[in-house]
Amino acid sequence: MSRAASVAATLPGAMPHPIEVEGLTKRFGKLVANDAVSFCVRPGETYGLLGPNGAGKTTLIRMLTTLLPPTSGSARIDGHDVVSERSAVRRAIGTVSQAQTTDENLTVRENLSVQGKMYGLSGRLLRDRIGQRLRQVGLWERRNQLTRHLSGGMRRRLEIARGVLHAPRILFLDEPTTGLDPQSRRAIWDMFGELRADAPLLSIILTTHAMEEADFLCGRVAIMDQGRILCEDSPDALKRALATGERVELETDRPIVQEDRLAIAEEGAANLRFASPTRVQFEARPGESTGRRVARLLEGAGYHIVHLSIALVTLEDVFFAHTGRALRDT
Amino acid sequence: MSQREERETARGARLALLGIAAIGQRAFVTLWRQPVLVVSTMVFPVLYLLILGNAMNRQLERVPLAVVDEAGNAFSAECRRGVLALQGGRRLVSAAFPADRGAALDGLRRGRYRGVWILPFGLSPSGPAPSFIGDNTDRFSFEALETALRQVWAEASAPKETASAPAVRLEAYPYLDYLTYLGPAVVCLAIFMGSMVSGGLQVLEDRMFGYHEGYLVTPITTGTLVAGHILAGAIVASVAGLLVLACVLLLTSLPLVTGPSLAAAALTVFLTSTSIAALWFLLFARARSASLLRGMFGIINVLLFFPSGALYPVESYPAWLARLSAADPLTYGLKALRNLLLRGASPQAAYADWIFLATFTIVCGVLTKVLFRREV
Repeated sequence: MSRAASVAATLPGAMPHPIEVEGLTKRFGKLVANDAVSFCVRPGETYGLLGPNGAGKTTLIRMLTTLLPPTSGSARIDGHDVVSERSAVRRAIGTVSQAQTTDENLTVRENLSVQGKMYGLSGRLLRDRIGQRLRQVGLWERRNQLTRHLSGGMRRRLEIARGVLHAPRILFLDEPTTGLDPQSRRAIWDMFGELRADAPLLSIILTTHAMEEADFLCGRVAIMDQGRILCEDSPDALKRALATGERVELETDRPIVQEDRLAIAEEGAANLRFASPTRVQFEARPGESTGRRVARLLEGAGYHIVHLSIALVTLEDVFFAHTGRALRDT
Repeated sequence: MSQREERETARGARLALLGIAAIGQRAFVTLWRQPVLVVSTMVFPVLYLLILGNAMNRQLERVPLAVVDEAGNAFSAECRRGVLALQGGRRLVSAAFPADRGAALDGLRRGRYRGVWILPFGLSPSGPAPSFIGDNTDRFSFEALETALRQVWAEASAPKETASAPAVRLEAYPYLDYLTYLGPAVVCLAIFMGSMVSGGLQVLEDRMFGYHEGYLVTPITTGTLVAGHILAGAIVASVAGLLVLACVLLLTSLPLVTGPSLAAAALTVFLTSTSIAALWFLLFARARSASLLRGMFGIINVLLFFPSGALYPVESYPAWLARLSAADPLTYGLKALRNLLLRGASPQAAYADWIFLATFTIVCGVLTKVLFRREV
């Protein structure tokens, strides 16, 4: 798992990665919240920590944002140690935590003004920056509204504007869309595009238990469970690495007879299911054209293929394959 | 110092000032947007002054007294005249003259009279003296009546020709009623309430709602956080204190107040505010739940407000209470305010109190910084 970290170590004089985590462990008494977690995030990358509640994502983020001291291991943010160089780390990062960190008695603009001052922004620079960020997250029209009158989605957008107000090099987002309706979630995803366009080198690390979010937003994803990272790669690569990473569905014009069913199984189709006498579903290893071979086999046997779909499985299936459990929104 | 270090120092100072400004901005705006807090801080102390001041301030009036004249001689007539004078003059009593002592004592037991004064048969300076039977469930009335009646008898029985000149009694300052005595105490109460609604207790509230995660990850230093919250709490408390001070000046008669003592009083209000704000923050530096505050509020109120001499002079406290009083910053704030406002002292009279308050603030602030944990 420390592949990325060791790459950095073997390149003398190379720029440090924005995030380098090595063997990071956090224990609360007997409970191990994070067990020797290692990974790194590259400049301009969006890195997702995907896992169910209780997987240790928030604890990991808290250690990386100086809110919790690690029990052992080390982490460097923008080249600074999260224990010994906390103030340098704090200058480099922006965070959006799960908690509501905007004061509901302040207006949208006042919230950003208070936050900006804590980063040493003031006067015209602060005003301009607030205007810019509010436009990016689509809250400019509501700048003078009290935060308590914002919807959940708008409030989350304000939190994100707050997190990037001071133009950090690294942005931490702890479950940025949890609890939002699909439209608000979509609005936040779109906003990421805007932020990216504005800061191409900004590294984003986000936690989520929504696989489609990780799929859509993240260049690389680490799947976490019980305090450990189980695997880490781009969403597509994670799916392709599975023996059952491809999902095939075929429909024929007449019922498939028993003899042909056995032939399909021999082509390497896993988890073979017949949803109806004419419809077959199975999974296969990606890159082996199993779906196509099965289609050809059936056509050879005189069937007419009414429908054929071949798709990669979802990250949910990847999670299931690694843990034997479903990733549920619990 | 190298140029680079100088730049670092300047940047640190700028960051600290901006951090304090940010905390102050938030404290004021949030206070202003929650009228219930403004009301509780500013209106409560003034109500306290009006109600407690008027309830306790009064000389006793219209205390029902029964006088039973069994003597019917010149002395008893003199005594009755004295009682009527008490009723007509300072209106201490509302006198009744029942025919016999049975009816009078029955009235006493039923609560109709607070006292019965019996002028027995043969009343004279050398013979039987008047007897006073008082309702001692109400000590205030009991003592006032007893004193007044003893004086009436002394005058009635004294030989006219040897009547002595009245004793000389000097009041060092213009007459102050209890309402005025209470004035500085009420200013301290406003400071106490004001320091509760913002400052360090804001941090406690932030911890409950998670707001603190937003600023603990910023480069603001712990020292700035502590100083900012103490200062924000102190300014809110000072505003409350000064507004209530203005009300006190309007409602009561403080004749001796001049420009310099008023300015010194304002400074005293500010220093008292910082010390109370710092104490609150220290007490709750590690607290994580607001139920602690709810539970502790009454206790801290009692431990700070009453030992300060707000309601009763400190000098009469027993030793253990006096020690508590000596450590209570409100004691010093109150002492300085009384000196400046009631006695019209020059600002020099408050120097020692100011030094205590400032030291107290600094000690609390440093301890808070040490105890404060940034970890969530």
